[in-house]
Amino acid sequence: MTIDPQDRLSRISAFRPVRRREPLPAGSVAEAGDRLAYLLGAEVGRNRYGEHLVARQWYSSPEMCTPDAGVLRLLLPPGRRVAPRDAERAVLDASDPNQWLFLDTETTGLAGGTGTYAFLVGLAWWDGGGLQVEQFFMRDHAEEHSVLTEIARHLRARSVLVTFNGKSFDWPLLETRFRMTRAIPVPAVAAHLDLLHPARQLWRQELGSVRLSDLERHVLGAESLGWSRQSDIDSSRIPEFYFDYLRGGPAEPLAGVFQHNRMDLRGLAALAERIFRMLAEPEAIEPNAQTALGLYAISSILNRRGQSSRARSLYERALAAGLPETIDLRARHELARLAKRERDFGYAAELWRGIAQSSGQNFEACEQLCIHYERRMGDLAEAARITKNAIAQVHRARRLGLMEPQRLAQWADRFERRLSRLEQKAARPQRLARALQTKGGAPGRLLVGEPTQPDSKIV
Amino acid sequence: MHQSLSVRPTASLASVREIIDHLAAQDRTGEVITAVHRIPAREAQWAPMPEWVRPELRAAYAAKGIEQLYSHQAQTVAAVHAGRNAVVVTPTASGKTICYNLPILNAVLENPDVRALYLFPTKALAQDQLAELHDLGQRLDNRFGVFTYDGDTPSDARAAIRERGHIVLTNPDMLHAGILPHHTRWTRLFENLRYIVLDELHTYRGVFGSHLANVLRRLRRVARFYGASPQFIACSATIANPGELAGRLTEADFDCIAENGAPSGEKHFVFYNPPVVNRYLGIRRGYIGEASRLAQEFLKRGLQTLVFANSRLQTEVLLTYLQQANPAAPGQPQPVRGYRGGYLPGERREIERGLRQGRIRGVVSTSALELGIDVGSLDAVVLAGYPGAIASTWQRAGRAGRRSGSSCALLIASSAPIDQFIVRHPEYFFGRSPEHAFVQPDNLEILVNHLKCAAFELPIAADEKFGGIELAPICERLAEAGFLHRSADHWHWVEQAYPADAVSLRAVTSDNFVIIDTTGPPEVIGEVDFSSALTTVHPKAVYLHQGQQYQVERFEFDERRAYVKRVDLEYYTDAIRYTQVRVLEEAETARLTCGEPRRDAGASRTHGDVLVRSQVVGFKKIKFFTNENIGSGKLELPENEMHTTAFWLTLDHAFIESLPFTVRERQNGMHGLLYALESVSALLLMCDRRDLGTAVGERPPSPETGLEWQESPIGIGGDREEQEFFEPNLYLYDAYPGGIGFSEPLFVAAGLLLAQTRELIASCACERGCPSCVGPAGERGERTKEAALAILDRLTV
Repeated sequence: MTIDPQDRLSRISAFRPVRRREPLPAGSVAEAGDRLAYLLGAEVGRNRYGEHLVARQWYSSPEMCTPDAGVLRLLLPPGRRVAPRDAERAVLDASDPNQWLFLDTETTGLAGGTGTYAFLVGLAWWDGGGLQVEQFFMRDHAEEHSVLTEIARHLRARSVLVTFNGKSFDWPLLETRFRMTRAIPVPAVAAHLDLLHPARQLWRQELGSVRLSDLERHVLGAESLGWSRQSDIDSSRIPEFYFDYLRGGPAEPLAGVFQHNRMDLRGLAALAERIFRMLAEPEAIEPNAQTALGLYAISSILNRRGQSSRARSLYERALAAGLPETIDLRARHELARLAKRERDFGYAAELWRGIAQSSGQNFEACEQLCIHYERRMGDLAEAARITKNAIAQVHRARRLGLMEPQRLAQWADRFERRLSRLEQKAARPQRLARALQTKGGAPGRLLVGEPTQPDSKIV
Repeated sequence: MHQSLSVRPTASLASVREIIDHLAAQDRTGEVITAVHRIPAREAQWAPMPEWVRPELRAAYAAKGIEQLYSHQAQTVAAVHAGRNAVVVTPTASGKTICYNLPILNAVLENPDVRALYLFPTKALAQDQLAELHDLGQRLDNRFGVFTYDGDTPSDARAAIRERGHIVLTNPDMLHAGILPHHTRWTRLFENLRYIVLDELHTYRGVFGSHLANVLRRLRRVARFYGASPQFIACSATIANPGELAGRLTEADFDCIAENGAPSGEKHFVFYNPPVVNRYLGIRRGYIGEASRLAQEFLKRGLQTLVFANSRLQTEVLLTYLQQANPAAPGQPQPVRGYRGGYLPGERREIERGLRQGRIRGVVSTSALELGIDVGSLDAVVLAGYPGAIASTWQRAGRAGRRSGSSCALLIASSAPIDQFIVRHPEYFFGRSPEHAFVQPDNLEILVNHLKCAAFELPIAADEKFGGIELAPICERLAEAGFLHRSADHWHWVEQAYPADAVSLRAVTSDNFVIIDTTGPPEVIGEVDFSSALTTVHPKAVYLHQGQQYQVERFEFDERRAYVKRVDLEYYTDAIRYTQVRVLEEAETARLTCGEPRRDAGASRTHGDVLVRSQVVGFKKIKFFTNENIGSGKLELPENEMHTTAFWLTLDHAFIESLPFTVRERQNGMHGLLYALESVSALLLMCDRRDLGTAVGERPPSPETGLEWQESPIGIGGDREEQEFFEPNLYLYDAYPGGIGFSEPLFVAAGLLLAQTRELIASCACERGCPSCVGPAGERGERTKEAALAILDRLTV
């Protein structure tokens, strides 16, 4: 009764395949590679590390856009550890459209880590009035060094990366791949424009999802682009297509992956043009129901980047154009905070009052109004009235379960404390006044209702 | 610090003595207090601070009151300084951290590029060491960066740790799933990795140790990729083979430093065997009740007391008792708290702080507090039940009296055979440690899983090996299954999944069940691992958490969730598990001989590969305080199947026939014998009873018919059907897929195993069998003890 070592191995559960694989027609990787080259019209590229496959295409659209330095400052946020001078140099580098390199990778998984490979790297740049696309493919793991060498070469020529989610996915993954070679240094990147972030700010409210294909359809206008995603592959199956190909499977699905990657690159270029156009002159956008959300989104971006006066006028335009209820409230909040920061207290108070009166739990507005009446208007009675009202609102919200109990408890606590402070404060000058009167002197100068300086204390 | 002379008033001394005297006075038969072992205070063995220690480091230690070293510290740092791997055996509170911090900090101060990785078996231990290193860091103008890196590390802090951490404190799980698969982000660390510290080395045994050995294979492989070959420094509690264990885990040679030079205060170690209340049935007073009663003696005299129990269930039961006896004063926090793995981290930190500050007077804990988490020095430790290993017992006992002064540790034996053996053979315990830690790094189930992770980290070269195992044929298989692809001379990972996620270092699967309290708004109150989930949170189970009872209302197996509601019941539940075994391959077999001159005993011993199927089929309801069985329920839970290794005895048909007992009695005898064999095996193998499984089955007459499944219900009180085996096999199997190396040692030591088992049963004072030898008489059936002894007599005498 013995079992041979092979049988012993067969009992190990770690060998159990993760997914069922269809039996593949017998073929070799080399044959599949030739077939792929034929399907794509690709050729074999060579460098000191060996071979790889490269597919080249030129498209007449989209055309080059001229990056405005002001927009670049909005899109290239100075990082926490980046000196302002370096940030400005990045803006300068990125201002030259001939330095731009669009990049999109197709990978063996989304998990990241050292075992995920970028088997296809698509690059694109503006050239001759259109877009030049070059795709580098490893027919086998052994060709990775050769592919990476090409990427490094292109990045030396054009060092401004433009990607969609490349900051958190494509580029870190390629950095890992470069490090794994222990031979090819990670190429220097002068600036990295990741369009996912502005796209999310601009269109998430409107579209819900900001996948590149959704943006193509709803923002860029599918018909005008000159390509269609109708025959596009299911991108979740991309790793599977590559693994099957490595095992000698058919090349056709991979041709679909190349096509998908090209569309992503062209979509990326078109999206860049669109974003730059929107952000360059938002004031030129006609405020109406269609553009209201876009205007609001741009004002938020401007606000976050500290361009307060432009942000303020755009918030006002967006509000005037008519925003959906929740966004309208949010826009007024942001505008009020902005006005307060600019010490335009009257305007801020007017906005807070409007918000406080609208439906919903607007405790922040109530609190701001209290502060306004207490500190700036010196109207302790009105501040106390608003506070009492807010406390009633909190109790109502608690009864009806409109908000998390924990947060409600915090608000209740803050308002209660404010109220008792207001009451003490109101009592103090009266006592003082009474004291002065009994001594036969004139009433003191401190009277209820008299304006006091913000943050000043009553002695 | 322990090396500064902190004289603490020993007001506790009188109380400790008083309790011991009180106990001894009550023990009229001399059977209850089986040992009062006084460990005298011991002087320190000093050695000078080595010459090579840099002046600023010397000054930093001097400022903490450390101007010279204990002898074992001096020997260890000398070995490390000379570039050798070192393992130091250190009891609790002997200043082990200096053994690695001193040489490593010295190296960092000399060359700021030097990096070190510290591995602790738990997150909590790493936190504890962090405080110590920060203190040293401040005295050295923060010239080095020390960080913990674990699941709690905020993601925005991680980048800084990777770049600036000279010393990174982590655990094997994080190294396995968080660091190695992303080694390119740790280039700085790996290129300069000079030292790896393995603290609490003895915990890396069995399954966990076998996993760690493979994680270290991967670590060394990645370090090699960056041109580094780090040196190892390990610390272990007292076991028989620390050097061998370190060598097996790291595949390197070690200097072993075993002589302890640290001083210690006087300590009393008392063995307590609960009095027999029914000699006929061999029933002793319940040890949990005794533990709570005795712990209360310490608590009521104001002594800070730590109570250890061996399972979560017992922790909760003890906690319920002690909280009732020590209610919180109005508006005050609970003076007695629980502590175990299932509690959330914040809760645990709060309890550790409370103990150090003395705010908490008593804690009931599982093994979670056994390892070196700093909870300050306690006055007394009560061990409810033998922890299963001598090393663990000393570590737990070491929680009392870490510094000077007198302290007490009290071991209360349960009626489990292993406890009874220890409590009646104190010389076995207080003598030289007989415990060996075993690992099996070449367990294929474990190795293949780590090979997948290794391939994800770096492609596998065609000529690579793990230990002595050629990887090429295994890679071939993994390629066939679609995990790897061979390109030129390397295998590459070709799956979308991240392999480390599928491998848990501590259990069969990485699945945890979440426990959700639905009494009010749904709230997660804890987690249990997959294997304990089936027995603790099955439908209708009573789950205890912080002394509160919860009943499982819904058990979602696929979703890995158990929904519970607060209840107040007079019972708890205990699951019944059924097991079947099939022999796959005999590795080695031999006839058993006995007597003088040697003759054939009519039986054989074998070890080999088996397939084990088990299923939780029901549960019993056990009443609190009386432990009466007051009902039961049936369960339909998924079956578990596992390939593993086993040791088994086969009794010839003639042997069975010659036994002067009825069919039923023989069956009872065999089950009773297995029960005792399992206990003695656990003792010899330094493993937990749970690491072994037992079953009785028919010996397959031939390999062809050996494919039939054989029924063998295990679990006391199960409805065992009467069934005569022609030639029965008595199995002791490794309760882990692929086995963790217990079967062969048992096969080799079968003679000793049988002799010790006979000694255990024969010396037991009960009349008809009891939980301490062959299992409780009431549940085992007629003449169990007699039959088991008769079998053993024929096998050994």
